[in-house]
Amino acid sequence: MEILRVEALNFEYHDGKQALRDINISLEAGEMLCVCGPTGSGKSTLLRLLKRELSPRGRKSGNIYILGRKQEELSELEAATGVGFVFQRPDMQIVTDKVWHELAFGLENIGVARNEIRRRVCEIACYFGMESWFDRSTDTLSGGQKQLLNLASVMVMQPDLLILDEPVSQLDPITAADFMATLKKLCREFGISVIAAEQRLEELIPASDRLLALEDGRITAFGETRKCVAELVNNKRFAAQMPASAKLFSALMKKDRKTEKEELWRSDIPLSVGEGRRFLREYIGKSDENAKTFEKLLRGDFAEVLRQDDIADDVPSRRESMDEDALEFREVFLKYERTGRDILNSLTFKVKKGEIFCMLGGNGAGKSTAVSAAAGLVKPYSGKIKVFGKNIRDYRGQELYRDCVALLPQDVQTVFLTDDINGRHPYDLSGGEQQFAALELVLRTNPKLLLLDEPTKGLDASLAEALKKRLRELATTGVAIVIVSHDVEFSASVADRCAFLFNGEIVSMCDSGEFFSGNFFYTTALNRINRGLRE
Amino acid sequence: MKPPEKYNPAVLFVYFLILAGLVMFAADPVMTAIAFVAMNLTAIAYSRDGLGRAYVFFFIIFVLTSLANPVFSHNGVTVLLVINDNPVTLEAVLYGVMTGFMILSVLLLFRVFSTLMTSDRLLYIFGRAFPKLGLLISMTLRFVPLFGRQRRKMEDTQRTLGLYKNENAIDTIKGKLSVLSAMTTWGLENGIITADSMSARGYGTRQTRTSFSMYRFERSDALMLAIVVVCCSFIFFGIATDRLKTEFYPRIRLQPLTVYAIFAYAAYAWLAFLPVIARIRDRAVHRKVFGQD
Repeated sequence: MEILRVEALNFEYHDGKQALRDINISLEAGEMLCVCGPTGSGKSTLLRLLKRELSPRGRKSGNIYILGRKQEELSELEAATGVGFVFQRPDMQIVTDKVWHELAFGLENIGVARNEIRRRVCEIACYFGMESWFDRSTDTLSGGQKQLLNLASVMVMQPDLLILDEPVSQLDPITAADFMATLKKLCREFGISVIAAEQRLEELIPASDRLLALEDGRITAFGETRKCVAELVNNKRFAAQMPASAKLFSALMKKDRKTEKEELWRSDIPLSVGEGRRFLREYIGKSDENAKTFEKLLRGDFAEVLRQDDIADDVPSRRESMDEDALEFREVFLKYERTGRDILNSLTFKVKKGEIFCMLGGNGAGKSTAVSAAAGLVKPYSGKIKVFGKNIRDYRGQELYRDCVALLPQDVQTVFLTDDINGRHPYDLSGGEQQFAALELVLRTNPKLLLLDEPTKGLDASLAEALKKRLRELATTGVAIVIVSHDVEFSASVADRCAFLFNGEIVSMCDSGEFFSGNFFYTTALNRINRGLRE
Repeated sequence: MKPPEKYNPAVLFVYFLILAGLVMFAADPVMTAIAFVAMNLTAIAYSRDGLGRAYVFFFIIFVLTSLANPVFSHNGVTVLLVINDNPVTLEAVLYGVMTGFMILSVLLLFRVFSTLMTSDRLLYIFGRAFPKLGLLISMTLRFVPLFGRQRRKMEDTQRTLGLYKNENAIDTIKGKLSVLSAMTTWGLENGIITADSMSARGYGTRQTRTSFSMYRFERSDALMLAIVVVCCSFIFFGIATDRLKTEFYPRIRLQPLTVYAIFAYAAYAWLAFLPVIARIRDRAVHRKVFGQD
C-alpha cells in the first residue's frame, strides 16, 4: 500500500528563497526512506512539509497524499496521529517532567480515555525496554534514552508514517546504531514507513529501502537504495557521504563501469560493512593483480582515510616543533559526587605543542569531563594537570584563558552571547554553521591549547572536510589540539595520535594508523572491511 | 495496610490536611504530646537527609513561641514573677510551651509532607481538577532544571572565553546579566522546538485533554480514606461540642478521662502514628519475606 505520494511539489519561502523544486516521490508501507543531501539542500523543508502541523510558511504548489488522501483533507486528529515526527535535538522536544507523562502526552491531547492511555503507555514502554526508567524524571536521562523516549512518545500515537529529522546526529555511534536498529524493527514488525534524514549515512543507508538525494532543492537521485548509491558514489557532491563499502567498490571496479557490466555494477554494489568484506574477499581472492590494485589503492586515494602509511605530509614538519608539552594529565582522579563513581580514573596522557590528539570512547567514558578538567572548569580530587608545564592550580583568575587555553564545548549554543554573526542570528544558522561560527569565536581568544568537545556534531561531509583543514592549519602554527569525539572517521582523518578512553582511563594510546588498524569495533568502516584480508 | 507511598496521592493529601488541622486545633496537652512524639518518629522514619540542622532551627522556633506567649498574655492566676509591672503567669508559660510543641509538630508534619508529596503526586491531584494548570506545572518542572543546567554550561563556556575578565563585582554582574540575556534567547528559540513537538503530537486538536496519571484509586485507598475521615470526624465532633476541652485560663483544668475522651485520644494516636506504624509493619513484613537485611 502506498503510504505517501508527493507530486510536483514546489516550495518557496516568503523571502523568495526557492527551497524545493519539482519533488516527486512515493513510499510504500513498511519501507524506509533515507534522505540525504548537503546542508541547505531542502531536506528539513521537505520533511516538515510532510507533517501538516509543522509546515513552514511560504508558497507551495503540488500535492502531498498521505494514505491516498490529500494532506489538506485530513482531519486534525488524523493529521496528528497519522504522521509522527522526531526532531534533531533530543532535549528540546521533551515536553513534560516524567517519562510516563511524556509517553502519555500525545494521547492526552487527543482525549483518549485514561484506561486506554494506561494500556498503550505501558505497552510501548515495554516494547522499547523502558521499564527501568519509566518513573524517572526526563531530566535524568542520557541522550540516547531521551531520543528513544521521543521516538516512543510518537509511536504511542500509532502513526503510519514516521518522519525523523537527523535523529541520531547528537548521539554516539553505538547508541545511534541501536536507534537505527529500532527504527528498522518498527518497519519490519509493524509495517510503519519511515523517512529519515541524516548526515552520517554509514548505518542508515544499508538499513533503508529507498534513497532520496537532494541538492539545492532538486532531486538528484531517488529510488531503490543500491541503484542510487551506485549513481551517487560517482557524484562529487555526494561521494564523501556514501558508505565506505560502496566507495571501495567504486574505486576498485572503476574500469568495469561504462561497459556492458553496468547493470551488474548497480545490483552488486555493497552497502554494509559485511557486504563490503564479502566483496573484498572475493575480489582479492580472484587474482594477485587484484590484491596489488587494492594495496595500491590503500596507499593512494584511501591513505587519508585509512592512515596505514605514516601520517599526512605536514606531520613530519610539525613533529619538529613537538618538543614542548602543552598539556599533561598525571594520574588524575575526578568525580562529581562524594559517593559517586570516579569519572576520571587515574587518567594519564601528554599532548605536545602542534599535535592533534584525539580521545575516543563511548558515552560516559569521561571524555567531556577530561576536557572540562583541562579547561579548569572541574577540579580533580587527586592527580596533577599541567598546562604548558605549569600546574593548572597555579593559574590565577583569568590567566588560564588569556591567549592560552580555549574550549569549544559540546553544546555550541553556549558560546553565542551576541545576536549577530555576520548579519545573521546564530540560532538561524544550520547545526554545522553554528559549529563553525562557534569555533571562530573561540579562536578569537588566540589559544595555544585548543580543546574540542564533539566538534563534528551536525557537520555534513564538506563542512567536516573544511574543519579538518582548519585544524591542520592551526596545528602547523604550533597550537596543540585535543579532540574528544565519537566520530571515528573524522578522528582517523585528522589526528596524529589517538587514545581509547574507557571508564575514565586510557586503555590504548598510539599513533592513529596503528590505533585504527588495531581496534576491532572502534575503528573506521574501511578498517573493519579490510581487517585480516591483507598480508 | 500498604506503605504510605503506595496509597493514592489523594488519600495521602487528605490525610495530611486533616492531620495538620487536628494538630493545630486540638489545644490539649495530651493530644499535643501524642502529636509531638508521633511527628518526631515520622520525621525520623521518612526523612532522607539528616534532621540535625532542622532540629536546631526547630529549637529556636520552640523557644521563641514558648517565650512569646507569657510576654504578651498575662492571663492566669498563678503569678510566677512580675516584670515591668506585668505578671508572668504559670498558665501562660505552660500554654506557650504547648503552643511551641504544637508548632514543632506542624513543622515536622510539613517536612514529611514535602518528602512524601512529590511533584508528580501533587500534579495528580491538581491535574485532575485543572488539567491545563497540571500540564503547565509539569512543563515548568521540566523546564526549570533544563534552564538551570544550560545556564551553568553557558557560564562555564563564557568563563573560558574571558567573559568575567576581572574578578570584581561589577564585571561579574555584567557577565551574569549578559549570560541571562543570552539564556532568554536560548529559551525562546528552543521553545519553538518544544512548541513544534507539542503540536506534532496533536496538542490543541481537542478542547478537552485527558489528564492521565499512573495512580489508581483502589479498594484499600477507599478503605483508608473512610477510616481517616471517620476518626477525624469523631475527634472534631468532640472538640466542636466541648466534649474534649482543656482550659488554661484563668486556671488549668485538664480534660477528664471520660469514655469519649479515651476513644478520641486513641483515634488521635492511631491517626498520628499511622505512618510510623505503616513503616514498622512494612519493615517487619520485608524481613519476614526477604530475610534479614
